[in-house]
Order: sequence, then C-alpha cells, then structure tokens
Amino acid sequence: MKQLFKKKMMKELEKEAAKQDTQGNTGQEQDNYLNDHGWEILFKKSHDFKKTFYVNQKTGKKFCFSFITTLIDESILQNNALPYLLERDFKYIEDVKKLIPIADVQISERNEDIEKKLFNGYVLLTLEGEEKCFAFIAAQKEIVRNVAQPEVEFSVIGPKESFVESMDQNLNLIRKRVPVKELIIENYTVGTLSHSGVAILYIDGITNTDNVDTVRQRIKEIEFDEITDSSYIVQLISDNENSPFPQLLDTERPDRVAAILAEGKVAILVDGSPHALIGPTTLVEFFGSFEDYFLNYLLSSFFRLVRLFAVAFSILITPIYVAALSYHYELIPKDLLSTLITSRREIPLPPILEALFLELTIELLREAGARLPTKVGQTIGIVGGIVIGTASVEAGLTSNVLLIIVALAALASFTTPVYRMGNTIRLLRFPFLFFAELWGLLGIVISFSFLLTHLIRLTSLGRPFLEPLYPPRITDFKDAIIRLPFKKQSLRPQYLRTENPVRFSKEKAKEKKDIDE
Amino acid sequence: MIAKKFILFIVVSLLMAGCVEKEIIDDVNIEMGLGYDLKEDDKIEGTVMIPVFNPDKRIGNFTFSATATSARDLLQEIQRKSAQPVVTGSLEIALFGEEMAKKGVIELIDSFERDASIGARVYLAVGEGNAKDILSGTYGNRGNAIHLSDLIKQNTDKRNLPKTNLHLFLFDHYQKGKDPYMPILKKLEAEIIDIVGVALFKGDKMVHTIPADKMFFFKLLTDKFSQGSFKIKVREEEEQAAIRDLDSKNKFKLTKRDPYSITVEIKIEGIIREYTGQMLTPAMIKKIEKELENTVNEECSTLIADFQGHGVDPIGFGHFIKSKTRGFDFKKWEDDYKNLTVHVKTDAKITEVGIVE
Repeated sequence: MKQLFKKKMMKELEKEAAKQDTQGNTGQEQDNYLNDHGWEILFKKSHDFKKTFYVNQKTGKKFCFSFITTLIDESILQNNALPYLLERDFKYIEDVKKLIPIADVQISERNEDIEKKLFNGYVLLTLEGEEKCFAFIAAQKEIVRNVAQPEVEFSVIGPKESFVESMDQNLNLIRKRVPVKELIIENYTVGTLSHSGVAILYIDGITNTDNVDTVRQRIKEIEFDEITDSSYIVQLISDNENSPFPQLLDTERPDRVAAILAEGKVAILVDGSPHALIGPTTLVEFFGSFEDYFLNYLLSSFFRLVRLFAVAFSILITPIYVAALSYHYELIPKDLLSTLITSRREIPLPPILEALFLELTIELLREAGARLPTKVGQTIGIVGGIVIGTASVEAGLTSNVLLIIVALAALASFTTPVYRMGNTIRLLRFPFLFFAELWGLLGIVISFSFLLTHLIRLTSLGRPFLEPLYPPRITDFKDAIIRLPFKKQSLRPQYLRTENPVRFSKEKAKEKKDIDE
Repeated sequence: MIAKKFILFIVVSLLMAGCVEKEIIDDVNIEMGLGYDLKEDDKIEGTVMIPVFNPDKRIGNFTFSATATSARDLLQEIQRKSAQPVVTGSLEIALFGEEMAKKGVIELIDSFERDASIGARVYLAVGEGNAKDILSGTYGNRGNAIHLSDLIKQNTDKRNLPKTNLHLFLFDHYQKGKDPYMPILKKLEAEIIDIVGVALFKGDKMVHTIPADKMFFFKLLTDKFSQGSFKIKVREEEEQAAIRDLDSKNKFKLTKRDPYSITVEIKIEGIIREYTGQMLTPAMIKKIEKELENTVNEECSTLIADFQGHGVDPIGFGHFIKSKTRGFDFKKWEDDYKNLTVHVKTDAKITEVGIVE
C-alpha cells in the first residue's frame, strides 16, 4: 500500500516538474530582453531584485542589468561598468569583455546558470538583439569581518590571526603560510538550500590519498539542506555520531591549519564558518594547545601533563568522593576522616544528591554565563560562585569539602584547550557519578572500562582515535602526552600513513653549522 | 538494538544497586580501637572505642563495653547499644588485657582475620592491667585510637620498638619455629600512655616480657634494618654517650649441627647524639665503638639465654635452622633449642659525631 502510494506521489511530482519545465521553455521562446523572463517570476517577489535599463549613446542599443542589490557592490557597476558601456562602442555581447575593466566577465548561454550566478554576486547583462547570450559581470559585495585575534584558542605567544566567516579570506590566510603548488584546495557545494562551499585542503605528495578520498566521499554524500557552520560538517561526517567525543579537531587558527597540513592531515573549510576542521585526529591532540609549539619543549611537556592530570581529576574526583563516602570509609586516611565527617555532619542529603546538586549548580552557572552577554555574565559568576556556594554550605545543604572538590573539577575541565572536548569531559562525569553511587569504586572501574572500550573502538576518518596509546606507537609519543624538541620530530605521525613520512633530514639537522662554512 | 541494549543495561544496573552494602561515612560508628579483658567465669569484656567528631574539629572519644562469653557475641551486644551500625573497617589498634593475653588471644584475632575490611596493619598490643582502662582515657587531641597507633608507629619507625602488627603476629604464630610478640602499653597518668616493654607469646599465650631498656637489643635481633637509640657508658672514662642507630643489619649463620650452633652477625652504623665529655677524639670514638660492640654482644646473649630458659623463640632460630636443614624435626627442636649455642658478633661503626669538634 505504502509503496503504491509513494509511486503515485512520485508520478504526480514528476508531472508537475515537467509542467514547470515546459512553462519555462515557452517563456524563453517568447524571450525579449525587456520583458519578463521565465526565470524571473520568483525573483521578482523579492524586493532586493532589481532590473535597470540603459541605452548606449553610440549605437543606440538597449541593454539591461539584472542583479540582487543586497549581494552586489553597486559602486563597481557605476564606476567600472556603466560609463564604458554607455559611452563606448557596444554592439555585441562579446564586446563587454573588451570594454569594461573588470576581470571576471563571463559570457554564457545557459539559463540554468543564472540563479547560481546572481546569488554569487554577479550582475546579469542582457543586450537588445542577443536573446540567447548574456554576460555575467562580477560585482560581489564583500562584507568581511576584519581578521581578529583568536578568542577560543588565544595564545600569548605566536600569531594573532584567526579565521573569519569568508572562505576566500580564510584560504588567503592559509595560502600565505603554505605557498607551494602542492597545496591542493578542492571545492564542493553542500546543502540543498545553503549551497555552502566546502573546501578540502591537503598537500599533494604528503597526505595519504585514502584520507583525502574518505573526506571527499563523505562530503559529497552529505544530504542536508542548510549547513550554517563547520560544526554541522563535523557531526555529519563523523565516524561514530553517537559518540560524545568530537572526532575532528576544529580550530580558528590559520597557523594551526598550516602546521597540520605539513604533518599530513586534511583540513576542511566551510564557507561562513570561522572554524576549520582537521582530521584524522587523536584523543591526545585535543589536550595539546597550539601554544605548546611556541614554548620550549620542557615547558610544553609539563603543561600537557598538567592538562591530562586535570582531565583525569575533573572526571574522577567527584565520583571518587561519592564512592568513598558511601561505600569505602576504610579507604579514607584517618587524618582526613574527621575533616570529612565534621563537614558532612549537618547535611541531610546522601553524598550522591549532594554531589549532583553542586554539579548541576555549576552546570547551570556555566549555561547562564554562556547565554548572557559578557557584562552580565560576570555578575552571574560572582553571584553563583560566591553567594550560592557559601550560602549552600552555611545552610547545610552541601559540605564545604565537596564544594571545593566540585569547583576544582569544574576549573580543571576548563583547562582543555579545545572547547568541544571540555564539554565532553563535563558530560562524562555524570555516568561516572551514577555508577559510583550504585557500586562505589567498582562502579567507577566499570564505567572507566566502558569509556576505554568506546575510545579504543573510536576512529577518526578510519584512523585509530586512541593512537599512540592504542595501538601503541612508540615513535608517535614524540608529540603526544609530552612534546620532544623539534630536532627529534623528523618523522610525520605514523598513524596518518603519509606518502612521505620524513619531514626533514635528521642528519642535516644534527650537523653543527660553523660560521666559517 | 542499541537502544534496547542500553535500556537493559540501565535496568540491570538499577536492579543490582542493592548488591553492595552502603555505609555512608557519617551514618556509621567507626570503630577504631578495640579492647578485650578477661572477667570472672571466663567471660570476655569487649570495649569498642569510637571517635566522636565534634563540630569544632575536636575529636572526642566514646566507648561501648559489653560482656559476653565469646568474641562473636560481643559485637552483637555492642551493636545493640549503638544507634548507628558499628563498622570495623578503620580499626587502628586492638588491645588485650594482661589476663586475656595469658589465656590466649588467637580466638579473638581470628575474627580480625575473617573480616575482609580489617587491614593487615592493625596494631596489636597488650595492655598492662586492664585494656578498658587504657581505652577510656583521653590522650592527645586526635582521638585515642589514632594516638595509640601513632605512639606505636613512631616508636617502631624511629625508636626501639620492634616492628609488630596483625600481619606479622599471624605470620609468627602460624610459622613453626618462631613465636609472636606484641608491645605492652601502660597507663602512666590520666593522659599519658607508655610503652613498657614487649610481651613474648608462646603459641597464642603470653609467657614472658622484655623490659623497655632491653628493647633496643631485641630489635637488633629481630628486625633487619632498624633504627633506635641507646645510651652507652664508657667504663674507664666515666663518660656517657647517646648513640642513635641509623642502620643495622643482622645475619644468621649456622656454624654447627648436633648440637646446633648459630652465629649472629650484627652490623651497626650509628651517630653520637650526646656526649658528656668535652672532646671526642678518634681514639675515644674507637673506644665507644668497642664499648658498644661489647655491650650489644653481652646484652643480646643474655636475652637469647633468657628466651631459651622460657622456651620462647621470638627471633625465629627454629625457622632459620629449618630452612637450612633437610628433614628438620620440630619435636626434637623443643629440646634442641635449650642446647642451642648462639654467638653474637657485633661490628659497630660511628659515622658521625656532630659538628662540635
């Protein structure tokens, strides 16, 4: 029944489409450049569609501009096109190329191009007597935000550029850092309504072609209407969409994109999004800030270790508190026992409710702070952090030990350099809490093994996500949990299976250059 | 499918939540000290010490006592008197009254062995007089049990008390050819507890004691690496030196069988902390070293002879000879032990005399 109905529907739809086609054709046949064209019917409903008519002073030929005012820069039209077309010898449509000082002028006969071109900021030029041929003159209005400082991935040292919403501008920033012909930029259009441009960037001869093929195929296969940001792409092309872990790294730093291209990874840029995507990536990469590369390797290794510790602390400390207080009093050192018991003396709630209450309060504060304008957000921080915190301890709702623990855990979760990963970590705490309440430390071990199983199964563009921890790759530890000096980084990461694994000659780097030579 | 599995998992988790017993930290009475005394008609009086955590961070003490015929009944009696369940996981110290120790303690210790939540490092001690009296005082400001366990720990780590705990006691008890021992605590005043010696057990019954001033030598014989301090008097010079023993090793050597003869080699490295004389010349240091060696030799030999007289073997000579002898007969060892000759050879070295030259 259902299938029959579907078939019927399809037939009707086809019929309607055919009708529209014939209508369009008939419109084209009666085409007169001054009259309404078939393609114009829908355009005319919008108030920003404009059609202007002119007469050439020498030949007396009439011509017409059609354009969408909101997308084009009218001053280009007025200064660089109109004077020449009005005053010079303008007979045939081919003359446009010679007459006006605009590089991007295209002559076309294809009616189906019109819509696309108009929305890309071209002006349609039709000429009296040339019914089938017309010209497109580029006059895009570029409303581009200035290149600003990175806000999410700010670094004290190093470049201060960040991506903007215009893809051309972003590509310009990357091209300047990788000025070689091997840097390939492939362009695709995704989204049935948004027609978003998606660019795949890789370096030919370095990047594994399998990785590029995977990205290319997945982007081509995207079925979605409105792609507004690269975040959509992340979720649409992820290996496992049910995972809370982001499987593509996103960055707003052109320098980072340039660096990962050199490592042999693939970058994806989406028009309208100030964040580039990087893949394949690994879990440890999410805990490396790009600033690590600007610091001495000892410092950056230390900071990375601190960050990893913070993550473990942030996920585990509240569950351990709940488990220890509910089940394992014998594990608590005898000197700590009195502190914990006295702080919990007046509290009517069991440890799990106490912990959930505080954890949810912190989440509320974070949500409120994120939704409110920055100025008001600061007030929220003070109200939440100080007033609610101390008040709930004084009212005897939570113990002050737990307040410190939860606040520290929240603080630790914010040390993750990638914002997306920070969110994941905050979420992970809750299943751990749940199992800590059910089975104590055993529950924490169970949830940890679930987490580990999930991470081991996870892939990023088909490459193992937990590398170099699993599968173990000793050489890739040079830039994972710690970072070795640049001289030791002569090989590209193994898991990327790059076509040219050598970054630079180790021997040459070792040579001591003498001034005399 | 995934959703089904997930729901099943959650349901199973919730159903199994009751499988673990919950003991929320402030809803239980944490028993930290335990005392056993022998009463008339072979009844046992058990005392449970529970720390009371006051809001002003002071730790008070609270004791329950109950009398029963066996250790099992004791806990029942005590639970009946307590508003919150008494849990045993944080037990720090168990005290046995002198009478109780003489009658045998293994039945009581057996319950510690079986309770998985009781750690192996619980301290065991004999209370001179009554265990209940010791537990019901107020010592220090961190609670009685912690005070008592800290007292033993401090004296074991830095002073002359040989290492003892539940694990070692059980090891010595079940090990043939070795006898267990425990420190003896005594209540001096209302607020002060002293370690007055070491109680020696034969089987699980206390039979003999070593006074506190001989503990240094006892420790040299039992512990492999020990720390302690000892005051020595140089005979001809009328001077006294306090020696702190930093590192000592003992080594047993079986020199002869039939009758057995053992050489105990003791190596001591120590520093002089106090000296009554003015100058510490190298010659004087040599003299002190010599004096120390002689004293240790003499005192250790006397101790061993004393043990042989009482038929106890806390040093574990029997265990040592067994490990060197094929077909060792423990029945014969009872008599052989009395005839065992032990030579103590000490090598003392003073490594530091302080900054005053």
